[in-house]
Order: sequence, then C-alpha cells, then structure tokens
Amino acid sequence: MTTMIQVENVAKTFTLHNQGGARLPVFDNVNFSVEAGEALVLAGASGAGKSSLLRILYGNYRPTAGSIRITHAGRPVDIVSAVPRTVLDIRRRTLGFVSQFLRVIPRVSTLDIVRDPLLARGAAPEIATEKAKVMLARLNLPERLWNLAPATFSGGEQQRVNIARSFVDPSAVMLIDEPTASLDAANRDVVVELIAEARAAGSAIVGIFHDEAVRERVATRYLDITAFRKAA
Amino acid sequence: MTLHVAPAELDLEPAPLLSVAGVGRFYGERIGCADVSFDLWPGEVLGIVGESGSGKSTLLRCLAGIDRPDEGEVLFRGGAEPLDIYSVSEQERRRLMRTAWGIVHQNPRDGLRMDVTAGGNVGERLMDRGDRHYGQIRERALDWLQRVEIAGARIDDRPRQFSGGMQQRLQIARVLVSEPRLVFMDEPTGGLDVSVQARLLDLLRVLVRDLGLAAIIVTHDLAVARLLTDRLMVMKDGRVVEQGLTDQVLDDPHHAYTQLLTSAVLSV
Repeated sequence: MTTMIQVENVAKTFTLHNQGGARLPVFDNVNFSVEAGEALVLAGASGAGKSSLLRILYGNYRPTAGSIRITHAGRPVDIVSAVPRTVLDIRRRTLGFVSQFLRVIPRVSTLDIVRDPLLARGAAPEIATEKAKVMLARLNLPERLWNLAPATFSGGEQQRVNIARSFVDPSAVMLIDEPTASLDAANRDVVVELIAEARAAGSAIVGIFHDEAVRERVATRYLDITAFRKAA
Repeated sequence: MTLHVAPAELDLEPAPLLSVAGVGRFYGERIGCADVSFDLWPGEVLGIVGESGSGKSTLLRCLAGIDRPDEGEVLFRGGAEPLDIYSVSEQERRRLMRTAWGIVHQNPRDGLRMDVTAGGNVGERLMDRGDRHYGQIRERALDWLQRVEIAGARIDDRPRQFSGGMQQRLQIARVLVSEPRLVFMDEPTGGLDVSVQARLLDLLRVLVRDLGLAAIIVTHDLAVARLLTDRLMVMKDGRVVEQGLTDQVLDDPHHAYTQLLTSAVLSV
C-alpha cells in the first residue's frame, strides 16, 4: 500500500483580530493517514470542523501547527511548509478538491471548464474535449448546455459541471465536500460510481457526505473528528 | 542559466525570473514602501493588494524600472546572467522595459499613443524590437487586435474613437505583441464598468495562461486578485503585512488588516 496523505500533529486555531482578538480553537493533535485506494469519510456533527479539515488538507487553510505530507511525484511533500508554487504544482498534478459549489468564471463555456484540468496536465485538446463530453453525458447534462457558460444554470446543473470537471481526470488524492447535496437519485448514483472508479484506479479519497446512504456506499473507513476537538 | 537551487525533482523552473530584496522608497520622512522582498518565478502571477495609499503603486513603479528605489535591489533573470536593473545604464534599462517587460497602465491613455492608429499602436512595439517587414507587422497587429476582441475593421481607427474598455484591450495588445516575459499591471480593470471588467478579466486570465506570462498585478479589488493571481501580497502603510497563496490569504487571513479587508467584501 502507498500512503498518499500523512497528517501529523496538526492543530488549528482561528484568531479574529477585529473581534477583540477572539480565539476559536478547532483541532489539536490531528494524526491520521490515507492509503491509495481508500475512501476515508469524515464523521462528526455539523460544526465539528469537517470542512475546515478538508481545506487544511488542500493547503487552503493554514494550520497553526503540524505537517501534512502529500505523496506528490513519488515523494512526500509537506503542503503546510511548501512554497506557493509547489502547492500549486501539487494541486495541478496530484491533489483535487471537489466542493459543493462551482466558482463560475464569466464567459467560459461548460465544455471548456470541464476539459480545463486535462489541458493543464498537458493532454491534447481533442482528447480532452472527447473525455469532457463523455463525462458531461454520464452526468446527464443536456448537450445543448455544453457550449454555454454555467452562470445561468440551476444549482444542480452547476454542481454536475463541477463534478464532471473534478472526475474527468481523477487526481491521485481527492478531497470531496458534499458532492451530492442538490442532486437527484440518478445523478447521485453516478457520483457514487465515479468515486468507486477513481478509488479502483488508485485514488486516495477523503470526503464529507451528508447523505447517509451515499456515505455508506462510498466509505471504506470512517474518521470521527470529534476526537480531535480542542477544548475551548 | 545558473542553477542555484535544486527543485528539479519537482520539475519546476530552476530559478526565479525576478528577485526583489529589501526594496524601499521614501518621500522625506514618509514611507512609500519599505522592506519588500520576494521572488517571482516564470509563469507566476503575483497580486499586490491594499487600500489607496498603502504603497502598492509606489512599489510597482520601483519594480517596473520606472522609479529608482532608495534601498534594495531588483534582479531580473532574462538572459544568462541576472541583471540588477538599477545598476545598468538608463539606456539598457529602457531597452529591457521595451523588449522583455510590458507595463499595462490603469489609464489606457498613459500606455497608448492617442494620435496613432490602433494598428500603429500595436505594430510600433514590433518595430521597437527590430521587425521591419511592413506586411508581417500589420498581419501580427491584426492578429493581436482580434485576440483582444477588437474587430479587424478598426485597425486604422485612432484610440480616441474607442470606448474605455476597447482602449484598455488595445493597450494590452500593444504590451503583449512583443512577447514580454514579465508584465506589470496597475489596476488594469479600474475605471471600467463591471460588465466590461468581466470581459477584460476573462481575456487576461486566458492570455496569461496561454502565454505562460509572469505578471505582477496591483489591484484594490479582491475579486480581481482571486481570479487572476496565484499569490498575494497585502500592503499597509508601505509594508507587506501578509503574503501567500491567493486562496490562503483570502480564505484564511491571519493579519488583522487582511481580515478587515476580506470581511469588508460581500463575496469574493
């Protein structure tokens, strides 16, 4: 087995300087690892810090202490202490984040949004376009929408664009935050399949799934993060 | 190119394009900017954000070779040897600014020649570079006008006949036609309507990525920074108070001033 994520002694406290320097402790002593082919599902009540932890793994929130080694280009790289361009390189080639929301860029078509990660990794444009079309069709997004910018799409359609973009070329490590929140049952099934396929191909997955049925179909292991809660 | 560090195992570029060390500029007792140090790597886009008077434009002018800083150095690695841009002659610095660098001014009038046609504005940069074939120059100018979404039929019109958004796109074509390695932009979308801004931003985003440009963008607009930049430096009273990856600085700001800036915006 290949360890893809190794979290050691991570702590996070938010300090709100403009609210009287209030300190919001979130975690202390977070330790865990994730192997290739695993799907680790984060458990814990709403507000326990599941999304914060996912953002920390992505290098988006900066932990107060600790290290997070992501296996990138065959070697462990600490995303906490890495310089910005290394973090960007890790995200481009190894680490994907699937959020609930699509960050829409004005005027960019759905097809371009979905094939963008393939192009960024150096795929030929025709191959990227072909794969993007296959993925959009799988997620039941009508073909008449493919050449439109998703700004005016419904929440569920935007979410499917986002999922298509994330799974068109699954990353070696995928962080997934509530991907099925506004999807119907058929599309939820597609997402579950996509996650299973990514895992079978060797991706290490860490996710948050509100829907219990989805959670049970996806998880190979659970991590209750309440254990890391810092006493305030 | 000299290899100073060994990040080769990560397949990244071997040396920064621009190295800034301890740059400061003072107006008598008042600090314009002070103690600014950073490296910029090929293909990286750095944003400098802060309120009016925070020193971000002063810093940009020092970095771009326009105003000599009172302290520190700015090293540019365009060729075999790193060049301290303020230790070379004025003439050499001007040559560098014309060929390897580009500057996009907030007001297109500062970057365009208003009495010269659109095609002339773009073609002039190629002639500065030594191109002499008129037909080829016009062809490239036409190509660039189209890339910035200006109809080819407007090639013989003068910029004063253009809208503000078109003038700004023309300025961008004039800057990028000479294929600079490093571009400086001062509030490139300032003074434009929101709808015009969106179009310009998308255009800049695509051009920066397709050309693999390194760029330094000064803006007070955090949404612009979010869309265009990889890294962010936050300035206050002439000093850098926080820097890092753009999404880190905007989503998990650590400094009191950055927290104030990000919380003052509705959604970026």
